[in-house]
Amino acid sequence: MTTTRDLVSDRRDEYAFHDDIVYLAETKRGLTRDTVREISGFKNEPEWMLEFRLRAYDHFLKRAMPNWGGDLTKIDFDKIVYYRKPSEREEKSWDDVPDKIKQTFERLGIPEAERKFLAGVGAQYDSEVVYHSVREELTKIGVVFMGTDQALIEYPEIVRKYLGTVVPPEDNKFAALNSAVWSGGSFVYVPKGVEVPLPLQAYFRINGENTGQFERTLIVVEEGAKVHYIEGCTAPIYATDSLHAAVVEVVALPGSQVRYTTIQNWSNDVYNLVTKRAHAYENSRVEWIDANTGSRLTMKYPAIYLRGENATADIISVAVAGRGQHQDTGAKAVHLAKNTKSRIVSKSVSKDGGRATYRGQLKVSPGATNVVASVRCDALMLDDQSRSDTYPYIDIQEDDTTMTHEATVGKISADQIFYLMSRGLTENEAQNLVIQGFLEVFTKELPMEYAIEFNRLVKLEMEGSLG
Amino acid sequence: MTEATTEPSAAKAPTATPRTATPPATSGPAKRKRADLTFVLDRDLVDRWSATEPDWLTADRRAAAERFDALPIETNRLYTPYVDLRTTDLTETRAWEATATEPAPPTRGATGAGGGAPDGDPAAVIELREDRVAVLTLGAATVAAGVTVETLGALIARDARTAQRLLTNHASIPDDDRLAQLTRAGWNQGIAIRVPAGVRLDRPIVVRWLSGNPDRALLTRTIVELGAGATATLVEELRPSGPDIACAAGERVPQSLFTGSMELHLGSGADLAVASLQELGERAVVFQHRMASIGDGANLRWAMAQLGGKLVRSRIDNRLEGDRSTVEQVEIVFAAEDQLFDLTSYTRHIGRDTTGSLLSKGVLFDKARSYMKGLISIEKTAIGTDSFLGEFGMNLSRAARAVAIPSLEIDQPDCRRAMHSSSVGPIDETQLFYLESRGIPPDEARKFIVLGFLEPVVARVPLEESQDRLRQLLEDKWAAGLARAVASTATSVASTAVTAPVSVGSAPAA
Repeated sequence: MTTTRDLVSDRRDEYAFHDDIVYLAETKRGLTRDTVREISGFKNEPEWMLEFRLRAYDHFLKRAMPNWGGDLTKIDFDKIVYYRKPSEREEKSWDDVPDKIKQTFERLGIPEAERKFLAGVGAQYDSEVVYHSVREELTKIGVVFMGTDQALIEYPEIVRKYLGTVVPPEDNKFAALNSAVWSGGSFVYVPKGVEVPLPLQAYFRINGENTGQFERTLIVVEEGAKVHYIEGCTAPIYATDSLHAAVVEVVALPGSQVRYTTIQNWSNDVYNLVTKRAHAYENSRVEWIDANTGSRLTMKYPAIYLRGENATADIISVAVAGRGQHQDTGAKAVHLAKNTKSRIVSKSVSKDGGRATYRGQLKVSPGATNVVASVRCDALMLDDQSRSDTYPYIDIQEDDTTMTHEATVGKISADQIFYLMSRGLTENEAQNLVIQGFLEVFTKELPMEYAIEFNRLVKLEMEGSLG
Repeated sequence: MTEATTEPSAAKAPTATPRTATPPATSGPAKRKRADLTFVLDRDLVDRWSATEPDWLTADRRAAAERFDALPIETNRLYTPYVDLRTTDLTETRAWEATATEPAPPTRGATGAGGGAPDGDPAAVIELREDRVAVLTLGAATVAAGVTVETLGALIARDARTAQRLLTNHASIPDDDRLAQLTRAGWNQGIAIRVPAGVRLDRPIVVRWLSGNPDRALLTRTIVELGAGATATLVEELRPSGPDIACAAGERVPQSLFTGSMELHLGSGADLAVASLQELGERAVVFQHRMASIGDGANLRWAMAQLGGKLVRSRIDNRLEGDRSTVEQVEIVFAAEDQLFDLTSYTRHIGRDTTGSLLSKGVLFDKARSYMKGLISIEKTAIGTDSFLGEFGMNLSRAARAVAIPSLEIDQPDCRRAMHSSSVGPIDETQLFYLESRGIPPDEARKFIVLGFLEPVVARVPLEESQDRLRQLLEDKWAAGLARAVASTATSVASTAVTAPVSVGSAPAA
């Protein structure tokens, strides 16, 4: 078991990059009030943003570490570099991107992808967006897609209006940390009635040992507009721990449709502690499509607050936990208005001593009448070294809610494997096929090339695990 | 936490100063913390009891008191957000100074049986009040088979070694539970039921607790031991000791406390069915702890109805230790007004090929709340487990609140089944339509649907008399809830109107 697993780990290095970048500006290790001022100063931010950061910093100090979920005791806030700036200014053209960074992106296949059909690319190299392009036609129809830092300069009124309204700094310790030191992340603004025809994609990556990555993504979708945003991650493997504490805020205004897809594949030394939340107004539809295969520990529960009547929430959460990994993931749907609907589907696979935990909440608040909600959690365990937990919280405070919930945990059925092997598949192939089928609820929601990539990733994770 | 760690040292202080009644003086409606237990464990009183008790029991009580001081109300972090003791006020509540553990001869009670119970009667009846044993009768056949039903006081006097073994078995009271440790430290009434190996009791044993005198606490332990291959049925009834006294407006409303452990030990191949009817008064605060260790091939079946009490906090631990052991648990809650039912059940699969099947159902009127928490754990040794947990709720009022937290912790994937499911929904309109189309008036149809929803427990109550009683209680509660709903719609406050059970179209559209 150990040797095959090591093989897989070795293969992981194929897409683990680490380039020696000359950092032009970075803060000292550790976090003080001055660090926060320094970050804000580097960026020439308006006074209100500095105040926002400082307010968040104060809360971060006051707030206790979460005592539930995964093991966070190894995070040392004093060892982290909170800000690194890899190049002087935000690039608009591919030619201006430094060669070293360009090489890394090329290994990720970004330009090629863009040539094909990408609507826009925002690639995050360490802590700041260095490359960004929006296809002309998107600019023409008024869609804004850029780094959040840049948006603060170009669209300060929109950023100020919405930033921190969905996830306030006081929400949790890591949201407070992010609010204090955030850097980078994507800003998407879709004007009224505009449908973005192709998915907007951003590659997020961590580079540099002990670099905290605190991106802040804000997506504002005006009335009747429609957008699909995709993020996927790869990262280098290091011996010491890296912290990733992102905040994603989505504002889905009346009648809009937003889909947010994530493929998270951080290296196994990363703590991935992310707050993702959407506000869904009348008749809007919000979808989180969320997969977690990497990281040492992920604690992420994409949330949708159904604030307007007839809003719909759909959350698909997938987790694969291998050796040394704990995926503590799930979903939250909070019904605050009448006639709202939600669906949560969670699928997890644990193996080689990994631990997959579903933790979710479904809440129907007083006044939210005629709610229809469902929660479904399925877990596969591939061996008895692994662990699977399911912790759903269901809190219904209305009398006409229709809520159903189901959860199952089990192993791959021997019958299925036997059947597939009788058709000429090896045991390994058979197992892969069953797992791919198990996760299909997720993969079928992905654009094709992502689905292929994801299946390949899962296959890599599973390789040899039957031996 | 600092509070909790400083308290034990105070407990070790000499008895010069009264250690009771030292809660902060509450002037006016001070804001209560959710986990604030106002009950004071009267150590002086327990010490006075200890004077006539064996040393091992004194030591056990003291150890428990230390645990009580050190523990928080809820140790499971999954559930800490759902602790709420704010509706309770046990500041003045005390146990009786002296408790008789022997029945006062001649025994007279509800069943009126003096000697052996005639055919058709229960195998044994024991009825205990806060301060005394009211009834203790054993059928002749029961006695002949070697079955013992006695108070813990009697057992200690008769067979101290067995008493010590049963009472100091720490596995039978959850070690991490503050309220369970309260019972272990301060119990003043107890029952021991022992069924020897191979004995099959056809008729049920009835255990009846009467509680609810104003400001009185009754802390109890019930220990049941079944030898290998023994078969028994137990009916537990929790009834009010009398009607609640009238209180003038503004006057303090005295509450009462009932705490009860039920410690079950099932030898290999044993079979035990337990039915419990909890119909205490509306001022009763109830803390229950039931822990069962289930041996090889043994079967345990629970059927529990929770109706009474102001606040009920109950915890059940089913430990499937033996290979092929099984547990079936069905629990219903029918709650109204401001009742809170806070129910947790842990099902731990340890042996091979064990089976767990748990079903909880709740119907809520008015502002009632139910917190249903269930955790299935499948340990690494538990190969071949089949485990199911279902939590289903029906909110009949817009102000009601149903919380379900069904959880799974799995360390062994080689199982037949590991799943839970839950749902919350209103009265099914299609069922209603069907019944109405058959000429059944709407209110009657609703009653059928609701009572039918709760029927699984009623059907499992083994004693006909108790079954009828439960049915009647459910119907009465339904009628009372309906009457309140009609009254509240008549006064027509649209936002708080109870919608579901009211058939008249008087509720304005919200």
